[in-house]
Amino acid sequence: MFTAGRPAYPAGIEGHKVPSRTLRIALASAGAGAAAMSVALALPAGRIEQAALFVWILLAYVCCGLLAWTRRPASAFGRLMVLVGFGAALSNLAWSPHPLLFTAGLALDLLVVVLFLHVFLAFPTGRLSAPATALVGVAYAVSIGLQLTAMALGAFGPGNLLRVVDAPRAADVVHTVQLVLLSALLLAGVVLLAVRRRADNLPLRRSVRWLVDAFTLGLVSLAVLLVMGVLSAPGFAVVQAVTLGVLGLAPVAFLVGLLDARLARASLGELMVALRSETGDLSPALARALRDPTAHLLYWLPQYRSWVDHEGAPATLPESVTLIRRGGEPVAAIAHHPAVAAERDLLEAVVAAVEMVIDNGRLRAELRAGLAEVRGSRARVVEAGRRERRRLERDLHDGAQQRLVGLSLRLSLLEAQLGDDPAARRALAEARDEVATSLSELRDLARGLYPGVLTAHGLAVAVESIRAPVPLRLDVGLDGRLPEAIEVAAYYVVCESLTNVGRHAGASSAGVCLRRAGDRLVVEVDDDGTGGADTSRGSGLRGLADRVEALGGTLRVWSPAGGGTRVRAELPCG
Amino acid sequence: MRVAIAEDSVLLREGVASLLTGAGFEVVARCGDASALLRAVAALRPDVAVVDIRMPPTHTDEGLRAAVQIRADHPRTGVLVLSQHVEPALAMRLFAGSAAGAGYLLKDRIGDVAEFVDALRRVAAGGTAVDPVIVSALVSRPRPDDPLAALTPREREVLELMATGHSNQGIADRLYLTVRAVEKYVSSIFGKLGLPATGGESRRVLAVLLFLRPESDRNRR
Repeated sequence: MFTAGRPAYPAGIEGHKVPSRTLRIALASAGAGAAAMSVALALPAGRIEQAALFVWILLAYVCCGLLAWTRRPASAFGRLMVLVGFGAALSNLAWSPHPLLFTAGLALDLLVVVLFLHVFLAFPTGRLSAPATALVGVAYAVSIGLQLTAMALGAFGPGNLLRVVDAPRAADVVHTVQLVLLSALLLAGVVLLAVRRRADNLPLRRSVRWLVDAFTLGLVSLAVLLVMGVLSAPGFAVVQAVTLGVLGLAPVAFLVGLLDARLARASLGELMVALRSETGDLSPALARALRDPTAHLLYWLPQYRSWVDHEGAPATLPESVTLIRRGGEPVAAIAHHPAVAAERDLLEAVVAAVEMVIDNGRLRAELRAGLAEVRGSRARVVEAGRRERRRLERDLHDGAQQRLVGLSLRLSLLEAQLGDDPAARRALAEARDEVATSLSELRDLARGLYPGVLTAHGLAVAVESIRAPVPLRLDVGLDGRLPEAIEVAAYYVVCESLTNVGRHAGASSAGVCLRRAGDRLVVEVDDDGTGGADTSRGSGLRGLADRVEALGGTLRVWSPAGGGTRVRAELPCG
Repeated sequence: MRVAIAEDSVLLREGVASLLTGAGFEVVARCGDASALLRAVAALRPDVAVVDIRMPPTHTDEGLRAAVQIRADHPRTGVLVLSQHVEPALAMRLFAGSAAGAGYLLKDRIGDVAEFVDALRRVAAGGTAVDPVIVSALVSRPRPDDPLAALTPREREVLELMATGHSNQGIADRLYLTVRAVEKYVSSIFGKLGLPATGGESRRVLAVLLFLRPESDRNRR
């Protein structure tokens, strides 16, 4: 399996390995160590409640990050989460009485704000879109650069080792600008999240929606917190507690998402059962299993070099698709919503399930495609025949018939100039009769080739002058024209059926009924003859059936012994 | 008598023109398509127009449509349509309610100068011309409880001539009968077929044609 179209994972799945056990233990231990450090720094500073919140953030992000890293090693998202956890702990260094640690903690105090922005915008691939990259880049510069500037100007009191000059007012201004800028950048991040959420309008991905909601809430809280810092508003500590609590919820929502995917995998058994018992389209079962109503299955038919749907109709491969290959060659594809690509476990499991049952569906699609091909070629043969006959009829009409009329006219003109020689007059009259007979025969021949009158005047006119062998009831309920190929087929049905009436039926009367029923033209010819027509032997009827079926119609014949014969053709004329 | 000719084949057009000139007609317009004909008729008001049913640009039914329009716009100009198709339905489409000053002949007929000229004079004079082949196709059509079976052979001949648009005098000349004898045959035919006696010859043509068409079988039941 590989994923075509927009890659769901950054370059090469193979390039990213699951973190080794040692690495995981080391990171987990580092996390525990950092937590212990925070608590140790907080105790003498009397900041134990704040420390608890930071420890909550640290542990939530490091643990969830490790889990995500293990389960989706291709995505940088897990690694980013781990980083956020440690970043949060770094700012706690500012609680240290040691000047060096204090200075480092201050310098990195606002880094964690940008780390949150970065990880939220990088969900789920770990990569940032172009606008997000710009946004996050500016945010990093503001959080570190302006912080260092403010410290150089002597902010944060005497413990600040980076103080160059003592300009507390300037430092205040820089710090205020920094907080306001960061707050604005966070809100811009909220906008980016909203835009992306609108683009991924997939109703069923509940867990993802929750997660994005948690991100949004976290960023808004952070922005509010920063502005409160600027205004030195009362209740800062409360808002800070709420914000850190909310930010800690994001990994929890992420865990719920993983759990959701696991539940989806649990329903794969159900999918297997559905796929095995499904004899028609596998797509609905697939859509249920992936919880993506747009999901459907396409088959690759190498002999047609074409993708087809389960009906065998040609289809184009959508942008977001997962191919199922066999021996390097694609055999099928699951088309799905781009967001489904993020749930690789689920997708892999579905692919495995589909692979087991794909052959039946593929054979069915192949059969249907083949059938459509045969139908198409039969229709083309019939249509080519029709066009050829029409061409011949026109050639006769515009050529031989016209020339004979001209000849007959010249003979008439000649006659006018002729003297009173009776022998010459007789010869001329004979010649003229000869021409008249030829014209009459040619007219019958042309009409037999193709009902030329139909092209100009339609089925109703053409049917009226069909010569019937017995009294005929004509019931033509048609107004307006139908496609010529359909009219011609209907005309032949009437002609051939009436010819059969004359030959076999022993009928005393016949009826022709032409009418529209919805998007079908119904042609019925019945007689009161002896019935019992052998529908299998008569090549005329077989030929009629071929012609009608080639146009996507049906032809039925009822001919009970002693009960007359009824031929009924239905032709599509939408 | 002033005549306009519409025929896309130059050879036939000129042939018909010289034939009609020879027969004493004044050919006032020679047109290659339907729109030229319509313009000529509007400008020159000829007594009659000879129109080929198939003309450019589509070579389907331009001539017939032009003929129908001339009949509507210029009722004093007769229209004789020439066709290669033995189609009663097309003749009926041309007549559409009145057969006065209208004719539908097979194109072959121009080889028979006397018949052709006679038909053209009838149409020009407000009468009717229907090709005999069309009439005989209608008459010989099998029909249930054939009412034509009640006619004598002579009555059938009279019926066919009547349907082609001949006057009583014309029928009398062709069958070597007196006009009075023809009148008796005609009233006998109308009685046997249950047709109401009508006024002019053109109305009688239409009545007979309508009787002979397949639709009449259904109406009679």
